[in-house]
Amino acid sequence: MKTAWMKGFAASLMGAAMIMGTAQAQVKEVLVGSIYPLSGANAQLGVDCKIAMELAAEIINGEFPFPLPLAKGKGLTGLGGAALKLSFADHQADPQKGRAEAERMITQEKVVGIIGTYHSSVAATVSQVAERYQIPFVSADNSSPSLHVRGLKWFFRPSAHDEMFSGAMFEFFKDIKAQKNIDVPGVALFWEDTLFGTDSAKVQRTLASERGIKVMADIKYRANSPSLTAEVQQLKNSGADIIMPSSYTTDAILLTKTMAELGLKPKAIVAQAAGFSEQAFLDAAGERAVGVISRGSFALDLADKRPWIKEVNDMYKKRSGKDFSDSTARQFMGVFVMADAINRAGSTDPMKIQKALQETNISGEDTIMPWAAIKFDDKGQNNDATPVLMQWLDGKWKTVWPFRLATAEVVWPMPQK
Amino acid sequence: MTAQALAQVLVSGLLIGLVYALIAAGLSLIFGLMDVVNFAHGEFLMIAMYAAFGLWLLTSLDPLLMIPVVAIFLFSIGVGTYRTLIVRAMKAKTNAGMVQIFSTFGLAIALRGIVQAVWSPEYRQITNSWLTDVTLNVGGIFLPAAQLAAGGVCLAGFIGLYFLTQKTDFGRALEATREDSEAVSLIGVDRHKIFAMGWGIGAAIVGVAGVMLSTFYYIHPGVGATFALTAYVTVALGGFGSLGGALVAGIIIGLVEALTALLIEPSLKYLGIFALYLLVVLFRPRGLFGYF
Repeated sequence: MKTAWMKGFAASLMGAAMIMGTAQAQVKEVLVGSIYPLSGANAQLGVDCKIAMELAAEIINGEFPFPLPLAKGKGLTGLGGAALKLSFADHQADPQKGRAEAERMITQEKVVGIIGTYHSSVAATVSQVAERYQIPFVSADNSSPSLHVRGLKWFFRPSAHDEMFSGAMFEFFKDIKAQKNIDVPGVALFWEDTLFGTDSAKVQRTLASERGIKVMADIKYRANSPSLTAEVQQLKNSGADIIMPSSYTTDAILLTKTMAELGLKPKAIVAQAAGFSEQAFLDAAGERAVGVISRGSFALDLADKRPWIKEVNDMYKKRSGKDFSDSTARQFMGVFVMADAINRAGSTDPMKIQKALQETNISGEDTIMPWAAIKFDDKGQNNDATPVLMQWLDGKWKTVWPFRLATAEVVWPMPQK
Repeated sequence: MTAQALAQVLVSGLLIGLVYALIAAGLSLIFGLMDVVNFAHGEFLMIAMYAAFGLWLLTSLDPLLMIPVVAIFLFSIGVGTYRTLIVRAMKAKTNAGMVQIFSTFGLAIALRGIVQAVWSPEYRQITNSWLTDVTLNVGGIFLPAAQLAAGGVCLAGFIGLYFLTQKTDFGRALEATREDSEAVSLIGVDRHKIFAMGWGIGAAIVGVAGVMLSTFYYIHPGVGATFALTAYVTVALGGFGSLGGALVAGIIIGLVEALTALLIEPSLKYLGIFALYLLVVLFRPRGLFGYF
């Protein structure tokens, strides 16, 4: 009796193993992990990101007439049309939670790659987990320059980092001096105290000193503070009228509000995107956001040149009620970069995907970004991710620099309400 | 730095300190009454802000007019929390203290999750209160009307609380229950009723603070956490259960925070607050005005 039962059990086990074996041979579904803040102060960002990334998967899995990689054929054609499936985890802006979620996704969900994470501080831990387990990590929207210089072999960043972005800001200062005779003698740096703000300010400090621009205030503040009055008072004391903030959404809202309350009216705000490019900030700041300049990876006015971008944006808007933002556009592209590599690898073997990522060569024209191309150097950084500066004017982000890509003339000083 | 800049920071610190004080007052009241720390206090604040926001969306009336409605709403939430959750948590045979801590902590996470599910994590803002974008300029010192009003309402709240606790029969019953809840029940006072009232009033106070905050701060499911940490240290610094202590400590914390940020470094302002608290613990562990 007992042996018969055991035989039956063994047979069913073998059956199951055979079914699994065939499934392995013909992959129907490829699972990619996505780690973002889905609760806590930046939860809205995660919610918007999820919609953007799911739209990317929908475009990959369906058939659409866009030049985006894999849009035209159904699914991952290199894997017999297998579907790309995304699994989402919540890091709550906490590097340790990000680390734990990355481990769980790799060891339990068996994801073949991870995309993340918005917060640079979280990308620092997630990328280390990915490195240890040898699973590719596409850093879709992290901007800390320190991330790609750690010699990681499984780290790939298609978008620009803050050295490139800040470099753009200081090039812009040079260009407006040369072409419009606008002088930028000094700036105030205003940055939050996690990896993102710290790295951003470090680069800006160096660039300023190289170019003989005086840093009139260098203010490190505590993220998510209940009040920024003393901080803004310091800005005021410094007499700087060009402010360069590196802030997430909550602080960006509070900063502009407090500046208005304390009567600080700068000539320009040149922001390291993040909070300043979020719709929530623009809604909350209202009139006060008019004239804010932000570095960007994406501006919807690119659709004037590539009309299909508007169609993609409309699809996103239908699902989220918003236009693509600087963040969601990069998250959207992150999925294509990962899918394109898996497709070319023709396999779910992480080694092959890593190799395919290293060989990535996507033309800028086939993206929704102003980038020249997507190609990774030996550090996993895409140096062709052209940064642009945008200005919030007439309820739209308009590209104002580089001048050759500009769709609007920069407004300087920013309008005072 | 000019004297004017220093004055500006002190005034701003004082105004935000009054808000901290009123947020902490409700927490302190509940703690003083029954030795229970409500870890969902920040979430009560968040719910009050959403209540003000929701009423404003529905009626387009100024949030200031909503104070009584929101206070009553929060009162019922406070009473409800006591009657359903806390009463049961207190019945735990062992580790009742731990059960209370974890049940209110669980409540906090649950409330945050529910609000996020209902309202989405989008940042909200009340855009056309009477106080929005009105700033007085007194001798070069900028006084945002919303924060001035919040400071005034907070002071009024404390005066109201003082009369309620010191000059009414209910206040005496509250005080007696706090001293010895067993003895009080022997002389026929229903202590559960007093406890429930305490929770109701504690929540109503934070409701008032929430409405005032909603006129000048963004509204978000996680906003309670931003203020809760400050509220706990305010209660501890002022002395557990002392309303006057909460007022003084709130103002001290507002000022220390602003001065640390201005004179040392903004990212170290919590260090200033907690260093001060640790100093007080060394010399006076029960807090500045603590009973225990």
